[in-house]
Amino acid sequence: MHLAWEPEDEAFRSELIAFLDEHAPSETRAQRDFAGEDAGEDLIPKWARDWQATLFDHGWMIPGYPPELGGRNCTPVQTLVYLEEMTSRGIPRSLHFPGYAIVAPSLLEFGNEDQKLLAPAAIRGDTIWCIGMSEPNAGSDLAALSTRADVHDDHFVVNGQKVWTSYATHSQMCCCYVRTNPDVAKHKGISLLIVPMDTPGIEVRPLRHISGSDGFAEVFFTDVVVPRENLVGGLDDGWRLTQGSLAHERAGLWVEGVARLEQSIDGLVELAKRRGVAADPIVRRRIAEGYQRAASLSALGYKGFTSFAQGTSAPEHSYMKMATSELGKALYELGMEIQGPYGPVTDVDRGEEHGRWVNSFFVSFANTIAGGSSEIQRNIIAQRVLKLPRG
Amino acid sequence: MDFAFSSDQDLLRETARNLLARECTPSVLRGHRDDPAAAAPLWNHLRDFSALGAGPTVDLCVFAEETGYVAAPGPFFATTALFQPVLGAIGSGLADRASTGEITGTVALAGADGFWTINKDRVKTFVLDADTVDVVALVEMSDGGGASVTLLEHPSARRVETIDSSRPVFEVDVTAGERIPVDADVVDALVARATVVLAAEMVGTARRLFDMSLQYAKDRRQFGVPIGSFQAIQHKLADMSLDLERAWSAVYYAAMALDADEPTAYRQRAVHVAKAAAGEAAKRAAKDGIQIHGGIGYTWEHDLHLFIRRAYASEALLGTTGWHHDRLGDLLFAKR
Ligand SMILES: Cc1cc2nc3c(=O)[nH]c(=O)nc-3n(C[C@H](O)[C@H](O)[C@H](O)COP(=O)(O)OP(=O)(O)OC[C@H]3O[C@@H](n4cnc5c(N)ncnc54)[C@H](O)[C@@H]3O)c2cc1C
Repeated sequence: MHLAWEPEDEAFRSELIAFLDEHAPSETRAQRDFAGEDAGEDLIPKWARDWQATLFDHGWMIPGYPPELGGRNCTPVQTLVYLEEMTSRGIPRSLHFPGYAIVAPSLLEFGNEDQKLLAPAAIRGDTIWCIGMSEPNAGSDLAALSTRADVHDDHFVVNGQKVWTSYATHSQMCCCYVRTNPDVAKHKGISLLIVPMDTPGIEVRPLRHISGSDGFAEVFFTDVVVPRENLVGGLDDGWRLTQGSLAHERAGLWVEGVARLEQSIDGLVELAKRRGVAADPIVRRRIAEGYQRAASLSALGYKGFTSFAQGTSAPEHSYMKMATSELGKALYELGMEIQGPYGPVTDVDRGEEHGRWVNSFFVSFANTIAGGSSEIQRNIIAQRVLKLPRG
Repeated sequence: MDFAFSSDQDLLRETARNLLARECTPSVLRGHRDDPAAAAPLWNHLRDFSALGAGPTVDLCVFAEETGYVAAPGPFFATTALFQPVLGAIGSGLADRASTGEITGTVALAGADGFWTINKDRVKTFVLDADTVDVVALVEMSDGGGASVTLLEHPSARRVETIDSSRPVFEVDVTAGERIPVDADVVDALVARATVVLAAEMVGTARRLFDMSLQYAKDRRQFGVPIGSFQAIQHKLADMSLDLERAWSAVYYAAMALDADEPTAYRQRAVHVAKAAAGEAAKRAAKDGIQIHGGIGYTWEHDLHLFIRRAYASEALLGTTGWHHDRLGDLLFAKR
């Protein structure tokens, strides 16, 4: 038990910092709570595409991967150091996470040799991917999905609808979960298909986020023909892959979640000073409570990382997803409260930080709903970690 | 950064756990309530571990977690976490005898307000186990602003009744004796260390309450199914376990920070976080624990309340959760 990192890991950190000082464009240092959530801004601006490619080309996109996948074969500890440094500086790696964070790891784990070849472009951001899981009648109950793929000799024919599909408006490719067998238990008849978004029969209707920004879409499939070789993993074996891809998403997210909490606490202290309530004992205590919860969650994240690096399962990820997202929401709401009547004001001249607190409050609901809602996380903790019987 | 225990620490935990499960059953706690002598056999075992008081904070926390799990009565916490460090701070010759378990002691520091900040009050409060220990170390603010320690053998002490009989508290009057000067910062640092050890104990107590509640949720059936299959119960237990997990992590983070001699401000924050997180975890485990047990949890006969009493009494000791949050607030707003 000790706090310090090893010298070789600190050397790794210094190398990263030198790279960032030299290459990171000014836009990456804007210190936004949620990059890419400003109404009116392009969802994936050019500077962000260039930056992602630069990271890839220098082996800093996913440093644990080999160079051909945008990495430098670093150790798990160094990956953690990398995430610490990037997130504490608020530097985003990419403004579209599905490709590098979910699709590429899933293809590398479950795909055939041809499908694995799609991973580098997904990580570099040259191909933009979306993930078609949720449907109007299948959200938390993902296994209830009903978008149908009829199996023919050398192709599938897809009919149905996806919803809340992030980045669908900008994507070239979709990882689409479909029902290939309606006659078996709902978990057992699902398959994963790679669907090019320019295939005839696909219609994308944009949906805006609560913040007003572009973000997700409805995707309609009408007699969409998908070649047989676009099936990932076995036929009817898609459920196993959904579990895998969400695990990839959860593994590193806590570092980002904690960094965002720390950034909010710093912001709340400054906000309280500017609003003249820095001496208010209630305000001080509530910010301190937030700090305490963020700091203890950070410690829990590191503890979970220790078990993960030792190869034991780390249920901490479910705790971290639920707790950082819920605490984040509470901190933004506190930021509104500190402003009193000005909490909802977004006016550039009158409001605080262009309405940062109220806007981020809205956006922060994404994290308590998407990727397994907080209620679903509690179910997972109760049933898988605490081994309580299913209701 | 490494949260893994060494094999020696794992062995220490196993040894403590087995010993305490055998020697500190709920019937010992109930016996101790009526007669403090009922805890004497336990101390005969725990005295062998007194050297932990002079060792790394992490090791003492490992042991304290286990004493908290059984709500162990007796002078172990007061002697190792408070008394021995005070002896060390004044270079007392008694230190060796305390670390072999030959003598026991406690510290009288908190004043009328009950908080552990050095003061000039004439009555010291919340003096732990003052009736059974050999020596009370009285810590006072001296006129120059520094601090002093006075060692008192078996001073008279007034019992103050609390909800928790497993750790009796007393008032001790300031009396004459040799004032040995000590650096106030050194006293603050040893109180901080004791606070982390207490937080480790509280995590142990909270875990006991959680374990009892989780088991009950699996065993108890209503409407034909285990109550642990109801989502309202599941989500309570999920939240209890989250608070417990993060308190555990905060405690060892703070213990590592103290052992590593990190900068003062950094250590202080970690200590406040640890005690406040442990306070939140302990209170939640206590409250939700009763609720999950239903009527049986409301009875004197059920053991749950033995640990609930310890949880709430510890939460109030060495700074309440709210007090630690307020100190954290001071540190956050002092920055820059
Ligand atoms: C910003 C954002 C981006 C998204 N991006 C994508 C994407 O790219 N691709 C994609 O496929 N999907 C995406 N989603 C969809 C997301 O995965 C779903 O919103 C999520 O799974 C919840 O499903 P739902 O919206 O249908 O809510 P529902 O499942 O209908 O849930 C409604 C409420 O009921 C609760 N609830 C449901 N089941 C239970 C239960 N068993 N126990 C207790 N409570 C329960 C939920 O917690 C929630 O509070 C995105 C969502 C958001 C908000």
